[in-house]
Amino acid sequence: MEPTPLLSVRNLSKTFPGVLALDQVSLDVHAGEIVAVVGQNGSGKSTLVKVLAGVYEPDPGAHIEVRDGAGNYLTGQRAMSDLHFIHQDLGLVPELSTIENIDIGRPLRHRGLTPYPRRAEVREFSAQVAEFGGHFDVTVPVHRLTAAERTIVAIARAMDGWERPDHVLVLDEPTAALHSDEVKLLFDAVRIVAARGGAVVFISHRLDEVTSLADRVVALRDGRVVGDTPAHAVDNTGLAELIVGRRMEETRREPGPIGKTVLSVQGLSGATLDQLSLELRAGEVVGVSGLLGSGREHLCGLVFGAIPRTRGVVHVAAGAPVPPDPRASIAAGMAYVPADRHRSGVILPMNVRENLTLPALRPLRRWWGGLHAKREGAETAHWVDRIQLRPALPERAVAAFSGGNQQKVALAKWLRAGPRVLLLDEPTQGVDIGARAALYDIVGQSVAAGCAVLICSSDDKELVAFCDRVLVLRDGRVVDELSGDELTPQALLEATVAPSGAATTPSTRHRNGTAHVH
Amino acid sequence: MSTEISPQTADASDEVAARPAPPPRKRAGAGLLRTLSFRNISAVYVFVVLFVVYSFWVPETFLVWGTWTSLFDASATTALIAVGLVLPFAAGVFDLAIGAEVGLAAILVAWLLTSGEMPISQAILLTLVAGAVAGAASGLLIVRARIDSFIATLGLSSVLLAAIAWVSNGQQILNLPLEFQSLATDRHFGVTNAVLITLVVSLAIWYVLERTPLGRRVYATGSGPEAARLSGVHTTRVIVVCLIASGVVAAGAGILISSRLGVGAPTVGPSYLLPAIAAVFLGSTQFKGGRPNVWGTVIAVYVLAVGVKGLQLGGAPVWIPDLFNGAALLIAVGAARYQGRSRPRAAARKG
Repeated sequence: MEPTPLLSVRNLSKTFPGVLALDQVSLDVHAGEIVAVVGQNGSGKSTLVKVLAGVYEPDPGAHIEVRDGAGNYLTGQRAMSDLHFIHQDLGLVPELSTIENIDIGRPLRHRGLTPYPRRAEVREFSAQVAEFGGHFDVTVPVHRLTAAERTIVAIARAMDGWERPDHVLVLDEPTAALHSDEVKLLFDAVRIVAARGGAVVFISHRLDEVTSLADRVVALRDGRVVGDTPAHAVDNTGLAELIVGRRMEETRREPGPIGKTVLSVQGLSGATLDQLSLELRAGEVVGVSGLLGSGREHLCGLVFGAIPRTRGVVHVAAGAPVPPDPRASIAAGMAYVPADRHRSGVILPMNVRENLTLPALRPLRRWWGGLHAKREGAETAHWVDRIQLRPALPERAVAAFSGGNQQKVALAKWLRAGPRVLLLDEPTQGVDIGARAALYDIVGQSVAAGCAVLICSSDDKELVAFCDRVLVLRDGRVVDELSGDELTPQALLEATVAPSGAATTPSTRHRNGTAHVH
Repeated sequence: MSTEISPQTADASDEVAARPAPPPRKRAGAGLLRTLSFRNISAVYVFVVLFVVYSFWVPETFLVWGTWTSLFDASATTALIAVGLVLPFAAGVFDLAIGAEVGLAAILVAWLLTSGEMPISQAILLTLVAGAVAGAASGLLIVRARIDSFIATLGLSSVLLAAIAWVSNGQQILNLPLEFQSLATDRHFGVTNAVLITLVVSLAIWYVLERTPLGRRVYATGSGPEAARLSGVHTTRVIVVCLIASGVVAAGAGILISSRLGVGAPTVGPSYLLPAIAAVFLGSTQFKGGRPNVWGTVIAVYVLAVGVKGLQLGGAPVWIPDLFNGAALLIAVGAARYQGRSRPRAAARKG
């Protein structure tokens, strides 16, 4: 007879205003089983985790059941304490040691000022991490451990104090920050959890690793379960098809005329990038795809000089090499809209007008150094109208606007300066659909006017719909390039998540059209 | 840096975005109401309350013209120091060395005039340069050595106090030239030079901060340093320039103090630190909704001075100024934090 699942989800829906994030999702996880949940950004993976963790309330009609190994139905606090979560950032305190990080979750055992039994403690916790394949010093701050070791600490902490082995462990994209050799260490730890009788839900978008680790694969698309199959029965291509689906081709941007090269980057290194080269031509939109850690998240910042570069030369048009400094980059005609909008994109306490004019105040300066208030007001009114700022109140602090409108300001402040090269990092992250269309529209107008655009994005659909060609990054280098008819969401997904082994021999993955990239 | 009374990253929900822009018509009346609201100009209301209370309590000494002119004059130097201090605070850095900079200038100008036997103009110029050097030192410690501004200026403050003790041997410097003594106390247009100088410097700093691209960059550096840097603002230079300017203003205040007292006193500087910081914090809650600003600071200085004066006239003990200034600082910062928390939400609701 079929054993009762430890975690059973039935008819789970979650509606946000205007969006159905989860649509009648059902999912069973049994003891000793590793279930992988895969799907693209926005497919509902993270909403599912948040509903399970109790961050979101599901729509009425959903059943979420947690049972123990004997089939007893658990409710309330007991049920919550049987579900354990490890989120992408692991939730560790970097300055504290392994001992302290694990100990945080425990009830206080010692009274007030009683000293800790130091040596016994070190022995206990070393044994605890060793169970999951971790052999490292448990007394050093965890920020000095490797990423995989930190993940083991997080697993040890999540499993700390399990009275029975039949709990449920939910890992939310745990491998995103790991190198491929570190991933193995993590997988071994996860297998130990399952072997002891726990149930594991493993959220990921790295298809290759999913098939090697999981017993069963559940695919999500647009909030619906589109596949629930044993892992050995699927291959990467089949999985990619499931995840992306064969939908109607989305509306694409009409490619316009492409001019001369305006941005050339040679041998750029620094952060996660390793000798990367690329070229951008006027009127061209180039996308950059890649997993976290591939270099995608640092490319724009490195080109612009926002983060220190170790090597490499950047040219704008036929000019002299641009030194790695934001002001030099701006002077050369570059503009950079960073991913971290609140910290780097806009100045939240200042109003829209002050944010809009900040990058180019010089044209508003009178001969004695004063600010031309009237001209500033007029320019602000023009841009508020052009970006369709809602509500259209230029004197209001940017902090009081929605994410989409904040991003419009972050973009408009640069377009006002008339850049030749626009570097966009996750331009529509956390932006609602309406504002997204407006952002594409604004960028599209600049492209039509001859601006070259580089978009680094984790949203494949966005890249496919908006870009002339897309570069795929892995281990800090360009390993592939898709354009024209081969630029489809499915092909892009496959190229991005291709097994790590391919990275070392890019030639095996060469399609046509990559010649001028390297 | 704790001056930034930055609103929490309030992700105002998208319903704000969805609604159409409100008609611009109603805004004039609402704007006036907001300008006169307690939240915006609380210090003015506090001033009115203090004035009424003291007028009934100690009318025979409080409602006398002489009391007011002397109060105006005596607080002018505090106002000058506080207005200078607005610059680093606007750029997002603390300057705890300001009191020691005032003290150093007070003793240095006296020493140059007596032991150094310098002409007045030269002594003043050299003292102002010393103030600039002290400010530059704070700035370089912060942007080059990357020491937190709180620690950097606290450390520098101690070093400057040592310099004061070294120059003065802990003694007052007497026998300043009469011509120098009249510098601060001479009157034009019915007020002393000290008041005039404070007014002119306040006007200049107000103009730079509120009406020039430089001022915009100063506020951008203080409100969002990373975003400002990526927008092409030379944030490190902005910070250094602000600290140099505040150092020069502090030196000017030190010179005025020595001139008014007629002696170079080695202990005079540090006592200005707290009133000046209290005034900047209190001032930042006025007019600009959380931004350090010149006129808010000037008004705060005089509200604090009037509060202390009235209590003194009423026979309050000598420790009253410390108590009053300290309490005002704590209340001002508490109010600013509260305001910083509630403002974005209130704004979002209104949209």
